[in-house]
Amino acid sequence: MEYVIIGNGIAGTSAAEAIRRLDRQGAITMIADEDEIPYCRPMISNLLAGDIAAERLAIRPSSFYDDLNIKPVLGRRVQSIDPAAGKVRVGDSDLIVPFDRLLIASGADPRISEVPGSQLPGVFCLRNRSQALDIMAAAEHGRKAVVVGGGLVGLKAAHALQSRGLQVVMLIRSAHPLRLQVDASAGRMILAKLREHGLQVLVEAEVAAFEGSGKVLENIVLADGQKIPADLAVIAKGVAPAAGFAADGPIGLGPGGGIVVNNTLETTVPGIYAAGDVAETMDVARREKRVNAIWPEAVEQGIAAGFNMAGRRVAYRGSLSRNVMRIYGLDIMTAGVVEPPAADDSYEVVAVTDKHRDIYHKLVFRDDRLVGMMLINGIEQGGVLLSLIRREVAIVEKKERLLEPGFQVGKLMPQYFK
Amino acid sequence: MKQVQVHPERCLGCMQCMLACATAHSRTKSLFTAVGESPLPKPRLHVGAGSHDEGFPNRCRHCDPAPCLLACLPGAIFRDPDTGTVLVDPDLCINCASCAMACPFGVLRYHQDWVAPAAKIVAQKCDNCLERQHEGLIPACVEVCKTGALTFEESDEALRRKTREVARSVSMGMEEQPLIPTGVQLLRQAKKQRFEMRCR
Repeated sequence: MEYVIIGNGIAGTSAAEAIRRLDRQGAITMIADEDEIPYCRPMISNLLAGDIAAERLAIRPSSFYDDLNIKPVLGRRVQSIDPAAGKVRVGDSDLIVPFDRLLIASGADPRISEVPGSQLPGVFCLRNRSQALDIMAAAEHGRKAVVVGGGLVGLKAAHALQSRGLQVVMLIRSAHPLRLQVDASAGRMILAKLREHGLQVLVEAEVAAFEGSGKVLENIVLADGQKIPADLAVIAKGVAPAAGFAADGPIGLGPGGGIVVNNTLETTVPGIYAAGDVAETMDVARREKRVNAIWPEAVEQGIAAGFNMAGRRVAYRGSLSRNVMRIYGLDIMTAGVVEPPAADDSYEVVAVTDKHRDIYHKLVFRDDRLVGMMLINGIEQGGVLLSLIRREVAIVEKKERLLEPGFQVGKLMPQYFK
Repeated sequence: MKQVQVHPERCLGCMQCMLACATAHSRTKSLFTAVGESPLPKPRLHVGAGSHDEGFPNRCRHCDPAPCLLACLPGAIFRDPDTGTVLVDPDLCINCASCAMACPFGVLRYHQDWVAPAAKIVAQKCDNCLERQHEGLIPACVEVCKTGALTFEESDEALRRKTREVARSVSMGMEEQPLIPTGVQLLRQAKKQRFEMRCR
């Protein structure tokens, strides 16, 4: 059996390990853009902040490829897939790799800015290890930084640059940060906290150009004409599935631009699987196909895809968007549906605030099931609530009880253990 | 292998175990001096209210597979191969709370600890009192539990003992022995009734 895995991120890595647990003989080829030993991508912001050393990012030994008897083809991207012939073409070379089972775990690429000057040196993305190291090098000599985007990566980048002693300005297109994770009132809380910590945040700001004389970034020009001086800029406008090579083939893409998979992680083409940030899976809270580009899902999808590829049928129960962040003196944990569609009365929202403890907790129910949560501070019981969402447990008691102070798993006995 | 067994039906919510746990994880190991330590020692198990406000001791189950261990980004959470105990390496922990998001029992907390690097906030959880066990002692929470809600025994022995107690409680000719001590039953009943009255 010839297995080919595109990508050496955590989905591809987990899949390779799962395959090897069942099949010691089959040949595994891993084709990946990043010439690295598998490392922990979410921790590159910790690297940038100077909290950890670069060596600490690795999550597998340097003998990983040898240990699992994997043939690595690194530093190169896949150009096209020929499903009918069972072949993958790598880069612009003549290297063609045949496969019996293919896993597409190519991850995602940062959305790049189309505005003039975005190619200037000093304008970065923060998606992989080498980019983090590049930003660190630029930050050595810089004093002023601009972060474009107020999502998770934007916040982490801003925080990291601030801890390196840079003056940071954050530009957000919407009215508050974390627009995809939190509602407007939580957004206002977070915005206030960021400003309290010395981060200058401009909301409803649109970048018109990156300006530089010669070859160095000097200013970021906003749509309203305002100029912000900067030695470096980090663009954090989210990511898009890296599925370009599948765009005009028979492999089905979803509305989110990801590769659509079924509950065995198989794509619309038999024998070809997808997992991780490139895969569009059934979201258990939203009940629709969605790209949930998060680390824990990539782990699970990778394992499930690997088992299925090696012949053990394993059902993947669906994904759930979720995130946790402890930054700027705030603990933020969110999952599933945080802002239900206003017109749909099958949803019910329960929320509590505690001004003294800076707490804002919100739960979203659809009928008797918990489908979303947003916890600002006081996140200890988040895992319990999250498991209620993932396991689709029917909530029989008063919904408000889940947000009472002192709520813990004992309150849910015995239905929790059904 | 002996493990801490939890019998929530006997818990009165007295929180003695929490105090003992915090003391056992203090630098000085004595309650009298532990309260003066900085950082202040904190418990790894958490007594809260159950579904009817009766006590509920919530403690790490040392699950296998352990969701926290699988979710840990820096690989700080690991399993002690000899005892199966799920542990956190405070040097590697980056305080990201990925474990709290993964734990379906809500037992992780984040704070400073005297064994962690100074001033560093790290994930904290039950360590089965491995240090005490090496000294031949039983886990501190079990040692102080007065009602038998926490015991230290083999899993199948705990089950056998419970079966025996049930059988005995309904058998003729045995000395009458309630399943749960009468005092414990009474106090739990009182809490439950107070809760039900409040709900009306």
